[in-house]
This record gives sequence, C-alpha cells and structure tokens, in this order.
Amino acid sequence: MTIQDSPAAATTHVMQVRGMSMSYGTGAAFNPILQDLDLDVVAGEFVSIVGPSGVGKTTLLRCLSGLLTPQAGTITVSGDEVHGPHPDLAVVFQDYSRSLMPWMTTRENVAFPLQGKGLGKAERNALADENLAAVGLAGQGDKYPWEMSGGMQQRVAIARALAYQAKVLLMDEPFASVDAQTRFDLEDLVLKLQHELGVTILLVTHDIDEALYLADKVVVIAEKPATVVDVIETGFGEDRDQLATKADPRFAEARARIMHRLKKD
Amino acid sequence: MTSATAPASPGDVGTQANGTTSGTGSQPSRASRRGASGGRASGGRASGGRQAAPRRKKPPTAAGQLLQSTWLIVVVLVLWWVLSARSTNFFIPSLQQILEALGTDLTNGVIAGGALYSLSNLFVGLAIAVVLGVGLGLVLGEVGWLRRVVDPVIHFFRCIPQAALVPLIIGTFGIGQGPKMGTIAFACFWPILLNTIDGVLGVEPTVRHFSKVYRVPKPLYFRRVVLPAALPQIVAGVRVALPIGITVMVVSEMFASTEGLGFYILNSSATFQVPQTWAGALLVGVVGYLLSVLFVFAERRLLRWYYASGAK
Repeated sequence: MTIQDSPAAATTHVMQVRGMSMSYGTGAAFNPILQDLDLDVVAGEFVSIVGPSGVGKTTLLRCLSGLLTPQAGTITVSGDEVHGPHPDLAVVFQDYSRSLMPWMTTRENVAFPLQGKGLGKAERNALADENLAAVGLAGQGDKYPWEMSGGMQQRVAIARALAYQAKVLLMDEPFASVDAQTRFDLEDLVLKLQHELGVTILLVTHDIDEALYLADKVVVIAEKPATVVDVIETGFGEDRDQLATKADPRFAEARARIMHRLKKD
Repeated sequence: MTSATAPASPGDVGTQANGTTSGTGSQPSRASRRGASGGRASGGRASGGRQAAPRRKKPPTAAGQLLQSTWLIVVVLVLWWVLSARSTNFFIPSLQQILEALGTDLTNGVIAGGALYSLSNLFVGLAIAVVLGVGLGLVLGEVGWLRRVVDPVIHFFRCIPQAALVPLIIGTFGIGQGPKMGTIAFACFWPILLNTIDGVLGVEPTVRHFSKVYRVPKPLYFRRVVLPAALPQIVAGVRVALPIGITVMVVSEMFASTEGLGFYILNSSATFQVPQTWAGALLVGVVGYLLSVLFVFAERRLLRWYYASGAK
C-alpha cells in the first residue's frame, strides 16, 4: 500500500496481492481455503511460496494466474487489477507431460501461444528456437515431447513460458515429478535464466530446501484457511551452489525457522 | 485389425466424469489418460516412464503378417466352396455359382454402376455426418450447460432404429439421391457426435488451463488443442459409423429405388435370381471390408503422434 515507495525500477511491484480470500462451497459445505492473504513481488525478484501439501497452494496459484476469481481482495499485475489471465503472466505447470501437447513438436509447443499473440510464423519459430536453446535444447525443435525425458519436457515447458515473454513466471511445483539429479539441474537452470533474462519468478512448492535455495524471498503459508505466516529474505545473493548454499548456516537457520512455522499448527 | 479405441460408448454424454483429477501418481503415462472410455482404468500406467519409441518385439515379416491376417478367411472360403458345391437347396447356391454371377454382372456393368451410385451416397452421407457430428460435438463437449440440455434429445434420436426411418424419409423427401444421403448422414451422425463429445470431455484439464492462462483465442484453441486432443475418439466414432452407413446405404436402396447395390440385391431376390442376391450381399461385405482397411491406413497417418507416443 506504500505506493510512494520509490520510483526506482528495482522496487516496482510487478505483482501485489491484498486481502485475498477464497473458499469453495456454501452453507454446510463451506470450505475456506485462503484467508486475507497479502503478497508483494518486486520486479526481478525470485519469490518462493512454501506450504505443506493441501494447504491451498494450487488454489492460490489459480487465483494468481487468473483461472479463479478470489471472493475478496485484489490482485494487481503490472498495475492492472486482474480479473482473468493477464498477458504479463506465464505459468509453468507441475505436470509437464500433460501440459505439453503430444501432437505438436517441441518447437510448435513453444511457438503455439505466440500465435495467439498475433506473431507471424517466422517470428514465432525464431523465438521458439531461441528459447529452446536457452534451456539447453538447441536443435531439438523437431522432436516430439514424448521422445524426450521428463526433465527435457519440463525444459520445453519452461522455454514455452519464456518465449511468451511474460514479466512474471508462475511455477507450480515444477520439479515435483522429476528425479533428484534432474531436479537440481533444473533448479540451477532456472536460477541462471532468471539472472540472465531478469524475469520475475514466483515459485510454489512444498519443498522447503528448494524454496530456500532458489528464492530471494520465501513466503510461508500455513493454517486453515491458509494465510501468510512468515516472510524470509534469504540473502544468498546471485551465486548459489547446491552444496555450498545448502551448507550455509543461514540456510539451516532459515530452514529451521520455516519448519518451526509449519509445525506450529 | 486395430482394436477400437473407444467403441461408441452408450449413454456417456454428460455423465462422463473426466477422471483426471486424481493427481495420485507423479507421472501417470499418457496411455491411461488418452485411452478415454476404452481403457481408462486399466493398463498403460504400470510402466510409469514413457517410451521414446513404440515398443516392438521382433517385428513380424510382411509375409508373416499377411498370412496371419488372411489364413482364416481363406479357410472359410474353401469350406464354403466345398460344402456348398453339392447344394441342392434353391436358396443356397454353390459359391461357384455366386462368384460366376458376380463376375458376369461386374463385367457387364450391371453392378458397377450400382456400386458407384451406392458409394457416392455413402461418402456424401458420411461426410455430412462427420462435419456436423464433429462440429456439434466440439461445441457440446465444451459447453456444459448446452450439453445437459441437449443430452436427452441425443439419446432419444440415437435409439431410433435408423433403418425403420428409411421408408418415412423417402416417403417424405422423395426417391432421389438426396434423401438417401440424408438418411445415411442421419444414421452416421450419432456415433460421431457422441464420440466427439467424449473426446472433448477427455481433454486434459492441464491443457485447458494452459490455453486459458496463455490466452489462446477460442478458434485457435478449438483447431489446435481440442480437435487434435479429441481426434482419436473422433476417428473411433467414424469407424463405428462406417458399417452403420453401409447398412443404411443398402436399406435406403430397397425402397422405391431403381439403382444401387441395395436395389440390385432386392431386385435379384424378387426375381428369384438367388446367386445374384448372394453376390450382391457378398460384394457389399467386400466393399465394407476394403473401406475399413483404407480407413485404418488413413487413421495411422492421421494419428501418427497418438500411436507413436505410446498412448495406444
């Protein structure tokens, strides 16, 4: 609500959530999911939202991405109050194998959303190839998703989100269905891309280590209905390493703090 | 032959729960999802991982395959030939007589013209059914409230025996080619419509969410997302519709008609040319078989991704 923060670009809020509440059902079946939730995402920031399974992370993400309309509160993206999917947002879904379309090659998958934006074919394909290269899949555009491993498929999904040229990437447990090693590779890839391209990333996960390792800011949600119970600035800087960062005493401290927060209820 | 993906599952409109929200396994193979009503619950998910290429153990040689799929028909024909050779029953002529009659009437043009007439009715009728069935099915599959409104009507019309309507339709609309095509289209329309609706209902929720979040415009969404996703089911519907169309094609030519294979069968039967009657029926069977073989070829090409992705 502090609009007079600072005019500097670095502190521009690309996304702001104020007092968001969401519930399903009415009467006896009334089921409150989210309660009075606030969230601030600054341009270029990496924010993790961490919470236990079943806390309402998916509902939160659907509200943020415009698939659901919250019952109370406001969501603003790039200064616009959102009432549906916003062009500045792209989502990387958890289930890559179902969000990619098997009848399209990887290039077509990446280029497809750009067709809806009205880009010409040559431009679409150029953007697709460029972003496939950015995620380490140069020259793989003619393959079909089902010819690729899970990790590669999720790279394609990331390339698709990047090619869409959104300001904010929403990631819904994007690494939940790949093996541990692939997961680390993808985490580092996302960090690299974020630094190179300056995109803002909002990642939802139940994995505390992942949330901490990736984020500049970790937002802890818990309780029923879910609300923000803690916000932690990680302060690990740009250079992160799967071993060194996770061995950092601050990492252990933050980790303990989050676990404590989640345990309380 | 290929196993049918999803036979026109009766009574599925509107009640088909997507069954895709379980979210249990970390990565259920597409196989179990895509199979739609065919094998939703069974098979396909055990492997978990997804094969890069279709699994195939020792591909049989072309000759072996041909032998495998033809030996039974040869045996049946030989048995028919032998067992009917000494037939004295007027209504069961020997296969030799039947084939001779077929040969004669094929070469003198009596059947050829009729077959052309019949097949053109079939193709036009089927094409109309495909266009209307798929078009309407896509809309009904997407628009829930409309589907619920129309659902009882669909099931009412679907259950009407198509052949029984032929005399009424021809009585009402006349004896030209148009009403025959219309009758075929009407009969073929229902399985295609129902399968299309089912196919649309089976589209992954994640793909729908993706299309919404990435603001894919509706026409593009229908053309590049819903239609391909539902295509395996649609093709299954057309495959079911094909023999129905052939039946109605023959029946439609048995009322106030002077042309076509149905007329040939009826006419020869009415004039006690029994071998010709058999020949006509046999020819319809062969034509139907050839069409379904052609259909399978077309299907393999059209749904290459579907078979190659291990979904089938």
